[in-house]
Amino acid sequence: MFKSGSLIFDDKKIKDFINKESNPFLKKSRNNFLKKLGEKKFNIKEEYKYTPLKQSIEKNFNLRFEIEKSISSTTEKKILSHIINDNNVYQIITLDGKIIKKFSNIPSKISFKNFDELDKKEKSLLHNHFGENDDSDDDIFSALNGVLWSKGLFVYIKKNQVIDRPIIVNNFYTSEKNIFSSQLRKFIFMEKNSKLSICEFDYSLISNNFNSNVTEIILEERSELDYFKIQNDSNNSTSFNSTNIKQKKNSISNTFTFSFSGDIIRNNLNISLIDENCYCNMYGIYALNNKSHVDNHTSVDHIQKNSISNEHYKGIMNGHSNGVFNGKIFVRKEAQKTNAFQSNNNIILSDDAKINTKPQLEIWADDVKCSHGCTTGQLDEKAIFYLQSRGINKDKAVSILINAFFDEIIQKINQNIVKDKINEILSTKIESYLNER
Amino acid sequence: MLSIKKLKVSIENNLILKGLNLDINQGEVHAIMGPNGSGKSTLASVIAGNENYKVESGSISFYGKNINDFSPDERAMMGIFLAFQYPVEIPGVSTINFIKTALNRIREFNKKKPLDAVNFLKTMKKKMNLVKIDRDLLSRSINEGFSGGEKKRNEIFQMAMLEPKLSILDETDSGLDIDALKIVSNGVNKLRTKDNSTIVVTHYQRLLDYIVPDYVHVLIDGKIVKSGSKNLAIELENKGYDWL
Ligand SMILES: Nc1ncnc2c1ncn2[C@@H]1O[C@H](COP(=O)(O)OP(=O)(O)OP(=O)(O)O)[C@@H](O)[C@H]1O
Ligand SMILES: [Mg+2]
Repeated sequence: MFKSGSLIFDDKKIKDFINKESNPFLKKSRNNFLKKLGEKKFNIKEEYKYTPLKQSIEKNFNLRFEIEKSISSTTEKKILSHIINDNNVYQIITLDGKIIKKFSNIPSKISFKNFDELDKKEKSLLHNHFGENDDSDDDIFSALNGVLWSKGLFVYIKKNQVIDRPIIVNNFYTSEKNIFSSQLRKFIFMEKNSKLSICEFDYSLISNNFNSNVTEIILEERSELDYFKIQNDSNNSTSFNSTNIKQKKNSISNTFTFSFSGDIIRNNLNISLIDENCYCNMYGIYALNNKSHVDNHTSVDHIQKNSISNEHYKGIMNGHSNGVFNGKIFVRKEAQKTNAFQSNNNIILSDDAKINTKPQLEIWADDVKCSHGCTTGQLDEKAIFYLQSRGINKDKAVSILINAFFDEIIQKINQNIVKDKINEILSTKIESYLNER
Repeated sequence: MLSIKKLKVSIENNLILKGLNLDINQGEVHAIMGPNGSGKSTLASVIAGNENYKVESGSISFYGKNINDFSPDERAMMGIFLAFQYPVEIPGVSTINFIKTALNRIREFNKKKPLDAVNFLKTMKKKMNLVKIDRDLLSRSINEGFSGGEKKRNEIFQMAMLEPKLSILDETDSGLDIDALKIVSNGVNKLRTKDNSTIVVTHYQRLLDYIVPDYVHVLIDGKIVKSGSKNLAIELENKGYDWL
């Protein structure tokens, strides 16, 4: 038996799995992660303080791996029902990480492939950077993903290329709790001056799905990435996500994390500003009900001077739902003239809903502008009365106020198709809130 | 039009209104004066249907219908309008959209077709002119960052847009400069018809020079202790409330 922290695995099953890896580099990498998993003292108590692992996963993993399934007609139907009919987007469908080509429309200017399809040059790019930029030293699930990932997605855009339409990626997952076939590893590399918008939707095709996503993103000089993640899974999934972005000089990242439902969701977002004049915006919305639990752990590391980070997460919790926000800002000694902003605002709609919010600032440079603030409250009764006193009924008043609360962040979405989609999901969500009142 | 009988109202177990009577007919203007904390805003809020207050006993009737159990929006649709003493700031909600939603709700209630964009803008321009309110102000979020006077003007603008049957102006004059006071009063007067009525809550007789009341009531400790003509306001201005 193999133990890491409080998690227990079957040694032999892991070894068998790793031995099936045909790429010698990746085999070695998996073994390195396994070593980490065995040796590191992961601080689960601290890092997962508010996220009840017991419920989401069994501590004694009964590891099972499934070979790729062929797509059944019911699966196909479900997949097709989520496809966005719009010629202004590129669209890619993955099933447990495998790109389904017949439903996908990949822009010709970039390479968007599974790891096992890479040409020689792409392979060497992947091998040069793979695993150097994730949070597997601190997060046990990222390390676990490093050993057990089932499919890899590779995105590479060459210098000066600009993809004018957003790429919608619909990820479908099929694996149950102890089956490790929805463990994805993603690698995005953007060369100088390139520009890309990626929008990921996660769907599980089975209840109690367990998936994990570890994504490494490298932004070279003056490149710009919009990265949207939309978690609106009605199927009680458990999902561990770790997105890690490394930014070089003058690059820009805009990340948006939207969580609407799911059983347990953990989102780690780690941004490393390793050069001067980097700019990152981190936006998040969580609108929860029932027993959903969403935990956003973010960190931004200012390593060199003159960079800007701007973070704003907003959440509404109803029913027995639970929100966690933990935002770390590091400003290293060299990182003079840093501007770092963070704020987190929450509205609690029911007695049983909860939020735990915690900013964490560590600043070693002296010439910095840094601010953070978090608020938690209820809907403003005075505002509801004001709206009602003009003839607007209570339900409408509540929905106006909820929309207004999120408006600030929705306005930042620079892709209309995504904005429309989010507004659509949000209005369904608000309706469910009103029905539960 | 409005008939309040033996109204007792409490908030958080404090009895604020202690058996208040008030009758208002169509076309009349009533002024309510009284010391701080006497219950004027409470009365205004309760007529508008604020559910934070508890009606312990008594009744409020509007056009002969007991409205004790009506929600604030139902009352608004029937034609009751409250210009708040302290208008609420609502970030993220555009003033224009809000007024449009409100207006069309009220029109729907009155079995009128909703106004389309063009006609809404037309009406809006006319009413903006009446209270001399800036377009820029209306394109911002409701009252967000408005000055005290701008908030009051926005209240009267909304009143002009919604054309209520009964308007309650809760200290609309406080915070207004002399010019604004004239403009706002002028607006209120222009909106007067033989059918609609107004309650003005104020501390200052000056406002009543512009909006001339048919009756003046003095509210002290949750009860109307004296009613009279416009002259009562002048008397109060000179003597204060102690003699009552
Ligand atoms: N939420 C509350 N809890 C307890 N007491 C309250 C509450 N709201 C109002 N009151 C009390 O009710 C009383 C009446 O208040 P109200 O605002 O109606 O007075 P007012 O006559 O409008 O005074 P002003 O002239 O200062 O505007 C005051 O004593 C006030 O403190
Ligand atoms: Mg008052």
